[in-house]
Amino acid sequence: MQPFVLSRPKTLAEAGDLARAQPQDSALRAGGIDLIDRMKEGLEAPARLIELRWLGESEAVMRALGPDGEGLQIGALVTLAQLAGHEGLGEAYAALRQAAGSAATPTIRNAATLGGNLLQRPRCWYFRHADLVCLKKGGSACLAVSGENKYHAILGGGPSFIVHPSTLACALTALDAQVVIRGTEARTLPIAELFVTPKQDAKREHALQPGEVLVRAILPKPGAEQRSGYAAVKEKQSHDWPLAEAAVKMSLQSGVMTDVRVVLGHVAPIPWRSREAEAALEGKPASEALFAEAAKAALAEARPLRDNAYKIPLAQGLLREVLHRVAGVPLPE
Amino acid sequence: MPDGRKVTLKVGFAEQLRDIEVQLPAGEPKPWDARSELQVIGKPHPRLEAPLKVSGAAKYTHDIVPPNALWAAVLRSPHACAVVEAIDVAPAKGLPGVSAVLALVKPGERVIFAGQDIAAVAAKTPEQADAALRAIAVTYKPEAFVVDTAAAMQDGAPLVHRGKVQERSTEGDEPGAGGSAGQRGNIRTSPSMKKGDAHKGLRMAKVSHEATYTTQVHTHSALETHSIVVQWDGPKQATVWCSTQGIFSVRDEFAEVFELGPADVRVHTDFLGGGFGAKFGASAPGSRMGFIAGELARQAGAPVRLLLDRKEEHLCTGNRPDSRQHVKLGAGPNGQLTAIHVVAHGTAGIGTGAGVGRNAFGIYSRCPNILVESHDVFTHGGPGTAMRAPGHPQGAFALELALDELAKKLKLDPIDLRLQHDEHPVRRHQFELGRKQFGWDEGRKQAAVLRDKNARVRRGFGVAASIWGDFGRGKAVVATVSVARDGSVEVKNGLQDIGGGITTVVAQVVAEVLQRPVEAVRVRLGDSELGPSVGSGGSVTTASVTPAVRAAAEAVKEQLTALAAKQLDRKPEEVTWSGGQARAGSKSIAWAELCKKIEGEAVVATGTRPETYGAYPVKFMGGNSYQIAGVQFAEVRVDTWTGVVAVERVLAIHDCGKVMNPLTCRSQVQGGVILGTSYALTEQRVMDRVRGVMLNPNLESYKIAGARDVPRAIDVVFTPVDTGANNTGAIGIGEPSTIPTAAAIACAVHDALGVAVRDLPLTPDRVLAALGVVPTRGAS
Repeated sequence: MQPFVLSRPKTLAEAGDLARAQPQDSALRAGGIDLIDRMKEGLEAPARLIELRWLGESEAVMRALGPDGEGLQIGALVTLAQLAGHEGLGEAYAALRQAAGSAATPTIRNAATLGGNLLQRPRCWYFRHADLVCLKKGGSACLAVSGENKYHAILGGGPSFIVHPSTLACALTALDAQVVIRGTEARTLPIAELFVTPKQDAKREHALQPGEVLVRAILPKPGAEQRSGYAAVKEKQSHDWPLAEAAVKMSLQSGVMTDVRVVLGHVAPIPWRSREAEAALEGKPASEALFAEAAKAALAEARPLRDNAYKIPLAQGLLREVLHRVAGVPLPE
Repeated sequence: MPDGRKVTLKVGFAEQLRDIEVQLPAGEPKPWDARSELQVIGKPHPRLEAPLKVSGAAKYTHDIVPPNALWAAVLRSPHACAVVEAIDVAPAKGLPGVSAVLALVKPGERVIFAGQDIAAVAAKTPEQADAALRAIAVTYKPEAFVVDTAAAMQDGAPLVHRGKVQERSTEGDEPGAGGSAGQRGNIRTSPSMKKGDAHKGLRMAKVSHEATYTTQVHTHSALETHSIVVQWDGPKQATVWCSTQGIFSVRDEFAEVFELGPADVRVHTDFLGGGFGAKFGASAPGSRMGFIAGELARQAGAPVRLLLDRKEEHLCTGNRPDSRQHVKLGAGPNGQLTAIHVVAHGTAGIGTGAGVGRNAFGIYSRCPNILVESHDVFTHGGPGTAMRAPGHPQGAFALELALDELAKKLKLDPIDLRLQHDEHPVRRHQFELGRKQFGWDEGRKQAAVLRDKNARVRRGFGVAASIWGDFGRGKAVVATVSVARDGSVEVKNGLQDIGGGITTVVAQVVAEVLQRPVEAVRVRLGDSELGPSVGSGGSVTTASVTPAVRAAAEAVKEQLTALAAKQLDRKPEEVTWSGGQARAGSKSIAWAELCKKIEGEAVVATGTRPETYGAYPVKFMGGNSYQIAGVQFAEVRVDTWTGVVAVERVLAIHDCGKVMNPLTCRSQVQGGVILGTSYALTEQRVMDRVRGVMLNPNLESYKIAGARDVPRAIDVVFTPVDTGANNTGAIGIGEPSTIPTAAAIACAVHDALGVAVRDLPLTPDRVLAALGVVPTRGAS
């Protein structure tokens, strides 16, 4: 790791000023889980780290976790462990609680934050390999295309085939979250607009400008009889990245599903909202057969690479399972 | 001590015990056998060093920091194959903190795997060392390479070696394995194992099975990476701390490299954070660590610490080779095997040793026709080396899964098929024992019901066998036991505790003989000046060391008996020992009192271990050592929607001769099962076939089983055997305990699904493919 200056501003304004003063050569640090890894691996060598954990009382919103009107707000510095254990995340928001509890390890969840989780860089082994120059690092091609692509995207890929690494992103997208960003001025976005597709810009995964800080996420007031759920399939059940994730939200009244959201994770460069699956389910009574049909619809557009076609049946099976659990339809034996 | 005498030993196992006559070499105590009533041996005793380990007080090589020690770092080739056109280390020399710089290749030299040594530096801090490496200018001319085993076998594939290959073998290799029967292209043929006529046996078969099974490259991934610390004590004298399984192998290599006498090199390994076969000699299999650290220290005039990082550990310190095994089995109408034929190819990268062990040849020995042909395939990858039971887990996987596929065609129960062909009475006993204890018959029925219903979540039951030899070494160990005037007891030997618990076992042996509390025995090891010993490889440590320790302790006891006789005014043969007191008639003398009478400082004796002299009831591969038996059962749960395999239970039934310490022995078996589970489910080195580099040289995407991945329950059962092999009855367990795990799990998955997953690891993609639900590319 290269030497760097560590700054501990008390206000977001100060943090933003520091970042804007060295737009290419500074990094914001919250939990530091991914950032410090990248620095140790020699992928990045920022001259200045701007620590957000020392922000003062004036920025209490960064640590807020609780009601926001009739919805819920989550500060960017709230840890995954806090989310995983938060009572306010009842049945309506269960997807977020389950996602937070599923990520990484207890140690990491105690340090990792909402903001850091949403804004982390991809885990692609070409991006992470210090000796290789991939598309994201200024190279001319995504090396996964000709290389080992078992863990890569089957939906929305190209020219980069990374999968988005954030577990919270998948659940927050299903829950119609918004994110509040503060730079020289504040702006609020639907979370889907936080993510950048490789077709828009292959070198980045989020839309924040230098000096902008993600302040909090807001979950809207839950719909009537809203329920949600999240699950992931991993090769290893302790400390692994998902092969696929599914988050589902719906209002379930008299067995009929409305306002359905279906989002898949780790199958695409962004959290992948499946409008096809949503359309298949919307306004219909929950049933095993319908779930199978929706899962098929969700993956209909999949375009696998050489080694990742297995993600199609895997994501279908996972989505079916989550739909069964959320809608309370017993899983077949 | 009487000279060479004949004794009667009660040997055998379970109900099958018998008396045999054994000729003991001179000075050898009568072996502990099935009649021996032992007080300490065979009883659970916690590790003596546990408090040091859990409190962090134990010093591993990574913790050794001699005064003014420098940090060493190695520049490694980023290319799978390239010719070095130019190398300039001069720019590194003047950088802050840098004390020594070393070019490890010359212009014109060809480097043949990504990770190979290029240059090295020693500096005050790791950051300064890294900066110095970056300043070194190397120009490479990249050449064609091949990292994929199948591709390397093709005609016209880039050649890895341009001459005949020298085999590198260590104490981690199985005795009798290795050798060459020719080399062509990248393929080097190993000597075949042959019995009868397998081709004829296949032609005679009424039912046959033929399939190809593959296993992956598995890296050792010891928690403590390869590390060496060198301090020159004079121009021709050095002290070396090394994370090693064999301190004498470090001493000898270091002495040879620097042209020193072995006695001028002192090697320390107080504690060792795992080795699994990759830590022999001063160097790692793919990096000249001993030379690098020694030469940097000499140039810098200061001690040097060379501690590899996790990436280097994956790239250049050895691995378990992969395998591609084409298995053909033939059987008669009643299921009697007519032939076993295995053709195996595997890559140990630029190294050798990709054979697939003795499973196919040695276990189901009632099959009259067996042919096992193995080949090393050279690829541009880091060298393989011995890894816990070299070859055997791969061999077990292919053979046992093929047997299950054959059993299915024959409509035979897998255990019945195995019992029909296994001649080892202990292993037969283990199969029967496990069948009952594991709930095999009922479990298989339930699995069939779920399979027939096409259930989403299936269960499956599998079994596989282990074969290994008692390779305990004679005349290799000299142990010293002393009893001082203050009554203290010490045992010394230049061995290293790889983590199996030998420290505690050695103390138990001395405690048993001298009737002292285990805690009262001070054990000194991990230092080459403490007397000759063996490397911890081949599952030989306990079997080689404990008999020598016992011989030394018995010799000390004999001297103490003579002293007691003198004090009690009796003849030595009238003296008996009980409760730590010497008695003769109505008189006795307590330990402390007796020790005060010692003339001089202490009573000291050394002991050695003769060659193995007993191998009851079955010999290994026609040699003179016992064939170690083991059987493991696995129950899995498979989610057919996601392809995820979970191992619910493993029952490991093993024969370990006379178990010295059930606690540490059980721990070794659990470790073997966990390693095997991890190998079965997730571990896999991934090479980029286009760029020739390893893509997962870390512990994130190189996936080692965590707490949720290990079996929910691991039940360990020992079937004690008195083999008459040596005076303590100890034989090995480290390697046998990992051999059948992956095979049993794969067989259980076959039971669950009704189709075999013929490739390790058993990841969801493979399971879903076996179920036929993965679309071919573009078909979606």
